[in-house]
Amino acid sequence: MQSALSQILLKGQFLVLLFFLTVNAWYLVLLVSSLLELRRHMLLIADESRHLLLSSTLSPTISILAPAFNEEATIEASLRALLALQYPNLEVIVISDGSKDRTVQVLVERFDLVPVKTIYEQRIKTKPVRSLYRSSTYPSLVVVDKDNGGKADALNVGLSFARGELVCAMDADTLIEADGLQRMIRPFLYETDVVATGGTIRVVNASEVKHGRVVRTSVPTRLLPGVQVVEYLRAFLFGRLGWNRLGGNIIISGAFGLFQRDAVVNAGGYLHDTVGEDMELVLRLKRLSYERAGPGKIAFVPDPVAWTEVPESVKVLGRQRDRWHRGLADVLWRHRRMMFNPRYGVTGLFVFPYYVFVELLAPVIEAVGLIALAVGLATGAVDWTIAGLFYLTAYGLGTALTAFTLILEDLSFHRYETFRDRALLFWWALVENLGYRQMTVYWRLRGLWKFLRGNKDWGSMERKGFRPVTAS
Amino acid sequence: MISRQLLNIAMFVELGLLVLAVCLFFAHGLWLFFYERRIQRLTALGRDSLAHLATRGTVNLEEIEALRRLPHDVQVIAFLEMSRHLSGAAKERLSFVAGQVGVVDRARKLCDSNRWSRRLRGARILSRLDVVDPLVQRLLLDPHPAVRAQAAEWAGAQPSVTVISAMLKLLADPATQARFAVQNALLRMGAVVAGPLATFLERNSGRAAEAGLRVAESLAEPRFGAAALRLSRTSDVGVRIAAARLLGAVGDAGGAERLIELLEDDDPSVRAAAAQGLGRMQHWKAASLLASRLRDSAWRVRRAAGLALRSIGAPGALFLRRALKGDDAFAADMAQQVLDLPAAAASA
Repeated sequence: MQSALSQILLKGQFLVLLFFLTVNAWYLVLLVSSLLELRRHMLLIADESRHLLLSSTLSPTISILAPAFNEEATIEASLRALLALQYPNLEVIVISDGSKDRTVQVLVERFDLVPVKTIYEQRIKTKPVRSLYRSSTYPSLVVVDKDNGGKADALNVGLSFARGELVCAMDADTLIEADGLQRMIRPFLYETDVVATGGTIRVVNASEVKHGRVVRTSVPTRLLPGVQVVEYLRAFLFGRLGWNRLGGNIIISGAFGLFQRDAVVNAGGYLHDTVGEDMELVLRLKRLSYERAGPGKIAFVPDPVAWTEVPESVKVLGRQRDRWHRGLADVLWRHRRMMFNPRYGVTGLFVFPYYVFVELLAPVIEAVGLIALAVGLATGAVDWTIAGLFYLTAYGLGTALTAFTLILEDLSFHRYETFRDRALLFWWALVENLGYRQMTVYWRLRGLWKFLRGNKDWGSMERKGFRPVTAS
Repeated sequence: MISRQLLNIAMFVELGLLVLAVCLFFAHGLWLFFYERRIQRLTALGRDSLAHLATRGTVNLEEIEALRRLPHDVQVIAFLEMSRHLSGAAKERLSFVAGQVGVVDRARKLCDSNRWSRRLRGARILSRLDVVDPLVQRLLLDPHPAVRAQAAEWAGAQPSVTVISAMLKLLADPATQARFAVQNALLRMGAVVAGPLATFLERNSGRAAEAGLRVAESLAEPRFGAAALRLSRTSDVGVRIAAARLLGAVGDAGGAERLIELLEDDDPSVRAAAAQGLGRMQHWKAASLLASRLRDSAWRVRRAAGLALRSIGAPGALFLRRALKGDDAFAADMAQQVLDLPAAAASA
């Protein structure tokens, strides 16, 4: 019995090692790729004078789609910040997704809205629109009140109203930096085959916010938001930037993405019955570009920044990660025929398998490895020292890669300037592997399990609100 | 399978990497801390000297010598920072001082580099300082689109005949970035490009003409009328749309007649552009035709026709009110929505 178990564990050890080597080799490739891409980007933007080039009347119109559900308390500040974005041809469409509070009334009172006849060109089938408002003082503002149908439905309604050639999908509580759109639009102006661009999402918890703008950045001292700062930096600067150069970005954050309106409409808009609607749309755009031999480049631009509040409680964070993983599983399952399919080029042969094996199945393999380790140790089939060394080796490389991501951030945008912030960033990079990472494995496994059981619940996100400027 | 020795080696390598990363991270932070303070201090010095030199009108050799002694990167930062706030004679003095200090010569060398990033930087410095230099003009033909775009930005402040001619050729540039920069630069040049642009539009078609029409629309000079009329008859939908918009911007009688014809175009986007153009001209004689477009099968045409009627004023409003009582529900709904719009939103 003992010998059989030893054999199984040894074989399992081989598989875990193989997985570990493959994943880390990919990470190294991504790190090098992101370094090269970042260098190219920094050279392109050095001493760039955006006002002349990008604040022109010839710039394409951007329609910002801001879905809002029960945002009575924050909608005014969020909308004023959007209206003040530095971009010449801007339209802001707020879509109240059946809010049960006073969201619409607040908008009517504060922005001089008047009701207009509710007709529109329905480009995508959605839940009914109740009423439509235009502002007497803000010509570019459109407010739509509709029946509740979820974020995807609200964005689809927004697509029907959008006049702009480009649409910016965002969350109502996301804070876009004033020049974010000017930066984000570059790939559309510079290349002809771009259908979507994404910017960097950063964690706003602990930073100071004034009039809808982040005025002082700070790394949180609390564990959960602190670790998420490091996670977000890694995901954006290392992951998405790396894939940019390799030609295979398939994720644009739902909190801040810019799309070619017609491409999204022709693809059928956002899907309702998935919790990963943002990734699903991007992957569909990519897939259709191969099938229809049309444009389909997805570009990540590192310097436009949107700030978002991340969960500070284990319960809410767990729900979020569980939902993200369910979304990932759902999207990959829907587009499973892309897997290893040469028809879909780099996406089918490399990116899709990467997302399946490294992102989707990683928690399963990690959990199996941890359980096997525990069993091996308990039965004496695995040597304690070897196990300890293996654990340290496995997580050590991850930490080293995270540390190099911090260097990338420091060499490029260095938003966190103080010694305290640097020390905290590094501290959270170390601490991440001691419990937090294992918790995310559990949440992602839970998400996978729920996906297999057909659960498509969104769960709720409790927010603490932004930290205002402290009086000095 | 996995030997302890192998794990030990791997761990030491990782530990080494980690230590290296930490050292780099904090060392860079420390360097940045001192570097930024030094740069700030020196830039402030340079900025003060430059402000004196640029506004006073006379050149003090000691101050120029003091600027020369500053590190090169500080000089560039100070000059570029100051260039944003100056124009006219003060900017010319700034460029002169930049020449004396050596900033211009170094930028010229960068423009001659084999590396695109250096050529781009050189072109950016010379653009921001408005330095007239054939080297930058040569970069309009650079193989890298970012460099061509930057050279076009420079050209926006140098409206000579040869520069304008070179820029117009670039309207057919295959790279969107360069084309967009050229359009912007031509716009910045203003009325001086109207003549050459009109000639260009008379002789060209396709993508180049479409790009040129967009510039012409913003300039809205009567001399574009003939070319717009010709281009509004091409088979390219994009060109017809741009031509219709230009006809609306120019607003002459011949243009109005052609726009009325374009209301019957096969393509809905062209019909919508024609309606928009007639509204922009406030061509009240076309009100009844626009009212008939409220029954168009395409939403965008009905919408453009409604907004055009609204912008025409009283005659348009009359037709909109009449449509409210008409037998076509689509026309009535559109008329109602357009009449409901607040004035600011209707003209947006």
